[in-house]
Amino acid sequence: MKPSSKHLLTRLFSHLYIERSILDHPKTHKIRAKFSESQVIVIDHYKEVFNRSSQSFAAQSNSKKLILARKEGKFLHEGSQYSDGFEHEQFFYASSVMGCLYDCDYCYLQGLYPSANTVLFINLEDAFEQLRPYLGKDTLVATSYDTDTLAIESLTHQTREWLEFAAEYEQLHLEIRTKSANINALKSITPNSRVTLAWTLSPQEIIDRYEHTTPSLEKRLNAVIEAIALGWKVRLCIDPVIYTENFDILYPTLIDRIFSLIDPKAIEHLTLGSFRMSQNHLRALKKLRRSDVAFYPYAVSHDMATYPESIETYILEQLGIKADEYLPQERIRTWQRQ
Amino acid sequence: MIYIITALDAEARALIDHYHLTRDFTLPYTLYKNERMVLLVSGMGKTNALMAVSALLGWRIPNPADCLINIGVCGAPDAYPIGEALLIHQIFEGDRRYYPDILYPHSLRESSIKCVDGVQSVLDEYPVDMESSAMFQASARFFKLHQMAFVKIVSDHFTPETVTKERVIELIRSNLHNVDKVCAAVEKVSLSDPLFDQTEQEEIGRLKSHFTKAQASALDDALSYFRLKYPQKRLPSYPDIPDSKRERSQLLEALIKTLTH
Repeated sequence: MKPSSKHLLTRLFSHLYIERSILDHPKTHKIRAKFSESQVIVIDHYKEVFNRSSQSFAAQSNSKKLILARKEGKFLHEGSQYSDGFEHEQFFYASSVMGCLYDCDYCYLQGLYPSANTVLFINLEDAFEQLRPYLGKDTLVATSYDTDTLAIESLTHQTREWLEFAAEYEQLHLEIRTKSANINALKSITPNSRVTLAWTLSPQEIIDRYEHTTPSLEKRLNAVIEAIALGWKVRLCIDPVIYTENFDILYPTLIDRIFSLIDPKAIEHLTLGSFRMSQNHLRALKKLRRSDVAFYPYAVSHDMATYPESIETYILEQLGIKADEYLPQERIRTWQRQ
Repeated sequence: MIYIITALDAEARALIDHYHLTRDFTLPYTLYKNERMVLLVSGMGKTNALMAVSALLGWRIPNPADCLINIGVCGAPDAYPIGEALLIHQIFEGDRRYYPDILYPHSLRESSIKCVDGVQSVLDEYPVDMESSAMFQASARFFKLHQMAFVKIVSDHFTPETVTKERVIELIRSNLHNVDKVCAAVEKVSLSDPLFDQTEQEEIGRLKSHFTKAQASALDDALSYFRLKYPQKRLPSYPDIPDSKRERSQLLEALIKTLTH
């Protein structure tokens, strides 16, 4: 449940927790300069703060703090069963940031992490080192899984670093998934045909209700239009679809709105998927008691909670029919349980 | 309820006067209360603090909207003027670290503090006190991290012999406006509206008693869905509960459908 004290919001990243070992790292200096008014608290390891017991994810969501750390161990993880690997031989996601600037009620991060704070790992070069041995094969890396990297690009410059790295490796494909409207971050970078910018789009009513602090639909659409004009490959994702009583109006209208502004030929794919989540994460979401999304009577099978099959099929059929008006079948991808 | 903890009687004196607290003899500790607050004097040092706070919170277990404020004096380096109130964001105790969450705006200087075992006359790079780590440890079992605050008022620059009882009373008294603000801020950030009021909770409890544990859990979810989705709407009235198990299951199914439609 959301605290009733929204008027007490502190400024974003009012506190910077910084690992002692990276106090003198150039990236640390740059970030400190951007948040010169913030309290700086020196820590030995990010887990001291991020993994504390007795944190309130819900309360912290209104006053997120930034933790700067050096990642030890794996940056790369096998792509999840909940996501589309687009038939690439290898599919990884990179975890260079933990936590997201945005605050979406349906987000699995609420179940995955004990804290709403953001951990930024400043040693992205180690992720590249870990990835290099795999790059003899066709490989997809999703860079924005456990966060929205483009949303904090002005702070981290990680998207730029990924794009510069990808430019050197012909077998490397990137998916940068975002809800951000921060297209300016990409304007000085040469588009790469192996990089897909994937925007998650939702009806404005759904954004207002469930996607707190995210850019409006119109801002996202304008960013998409600009990205296409700049020459970027773009995928649009209506995923997750949240089933509501006015689903039949909201989502078809969204598709019409999208293609009234965007030439269907200019997008690579439209991805459709209804809400799904591992049962463990859903349990954690329920404990927060923040949103109705957590409490819908989902069907649970193989540890995955989804809408009951009849509703899931209805969602995908309805949206498929509408999408067919604009796109050929092969460019419409749907996520459906197996 | 705001739980205020001080180590010393002198630290409590001005707070007792300011908040019009009256003595309570329920526990074998110095305890004062009013309708909004309970104040405990723990005694000096970590062991006393740990025991006293545990006793208090075990006696009156906090509810989710309660908060705890530790108020006291501390020694500090020269850079911290005598009389300045500090809001603590990191507590050291040996190799251990504790971090209260400060999720509200405030105008105090924030600081780390080192929790030591005895009165300190040797210069240190951080402010020092003798109870904060123990109070944190005991409280973190009962409170979320944003529901705790540690306010320390600088009493000396590692010259504890200069700190008299009268001086401590005066230091706290001159910072009552800061204490007021921190109490109000922590209290507000701790508030959360329960999904269901007392009457609704009682009705829900009665309804659930007719179902199995799994059914009651599904009903709980559906009720939470309804309330979160339609916060302005009243819960639907509950039908008579049939005797037959099969009919009860059908009723539950219909209820869940209505609530989650």
